Amino acid sequence: MDGIVQLQRQLVDYNASLFHEGFLDDQFNQLQQLQDESNPDFVVEVVTLFFEDADRLLNELTKALGQPSIDFKRLDAHVHQLKGSSSSIGAQRVHRVCISFRNSCEEQNVEGCLKNLQQVKHEYSLVKSKLETLFRMEQQVLAAGGSVSR
Amino acid sequence: MEFVNTRKLQLQQQLQPPQQQQQHFHVLAVDDSVIDRKLLERLLRGSSCKVTCVDSGDKALKYLGLVDDLDDTTSSVSLETSSSSSPPPQPLEQEGIKVNLIMTDYCMPGMSGYDLLKRVKGSSWKDVPVVIMSSENVPSRISMCLEEGAEEFLLKPLQLSDLDKLQPYFVKSLDNTCENEPANSSIDSDNDDNVIIINNNSISKRKAISPEPHHERSRPKMKELAVV
Repeated sequence: MDGIVQLQRQLVDYNASLFHEGFLDDQFNQLQQLQDESNPDFVVEVVTLFFEDADRLLNELTKALGQPSIDFKRLDAHVHQLKGSSSSIGAQRVHRVCISFRNSCEEQNVEGCLKNLQQVKHEYSLVKSKLETLFRMEQQVLAAGGSVSR
Repeated sequence: MEFVNTRKLQLQQQLQPPQQQQQHFHVLAVDDSVIDRKLLERLLRGSSCKVTCVDSGDKALKYLGLVDDLDDTTSSVSLETSSSSSPPPQPLEQEGIKVNLIMTDYCMPGMSGYDLLKRVKGSSWKDVPVVIMSSENVPSRISMCLEEGAEEFLLKPLQLSDLDKLQPYFVKSLDNTCENEPANSSIDSDNDDNVIIINNNSISKRKAISPEPHHERSRPKMKELAVV
């Protein structure tokens, strides 16, 4: 029983830290609230969709910035999508970088865009790894017979 | 034939408990983002709505039967066809498709939510409320959409609290059948207001920027409807 309690406490602390450090914002809370007995895997499902979408978009962005003649409109369209999806799951830091990225696109600032792309990749990989850790910890609690309540 | 269909519907609805009837509220959700579609679907299903998601304005138009194929009349079997310049058949019974609410993203590749709104409002689906969603709070965009006939403008990302703004629309609209029907099947008892069956076009417009409570709802003009 102590084992479960400790796991649960670690989970709660880790969850809290993600918000404290700004990786996640209230929108992630909203997702957690939408998870229930009828939708037991809702958060993981949505986040998985986000990962897939982000991977695709980051690929597109990398390609677009590698072109001899950069299509800023197209670039902006991709960033806009990433901005939207990161906002929808509460990936705050990714969302913020996307805002700067859009500004760079608007200014047609190549250097700025390249820097922003690097930043967004960095933030994305951070939040991805954090969320994967979070889900792993949840699985551990569940496997130990505990419950993950919101 | 139309009379038979609606009569059957009335009988079916009378037999079903009110909650089940609520489940027949059908929302057409249009958004190019798979994440947002999932979120919207979850939010709406949680309110006992039936949800159909499409990823573009074009697909939405196709679903509504508004694609510009002039020979798209195969479905209008048992309908009273409109006279004059052959507008599309009554959507309510076209192939059994019924849509009570359309929710669309504003910014989409290809056809925008605004374009979709215009198309819908210029069609036989014009009485169906349309709600526009956007991640950007641009007042001119909001006014433009409201002026074009959008009922609501919601800011993304959508949250549970946004469902409150949509509550008035979740009252089951019985449309043609409601004149003869007692008002027993579509009352939203969660509302403080005395909510009654409302026509699709008697919903007041609200802006996303000013979250005021919904007490300015106009009452339908039909006398037979009971007020609870």
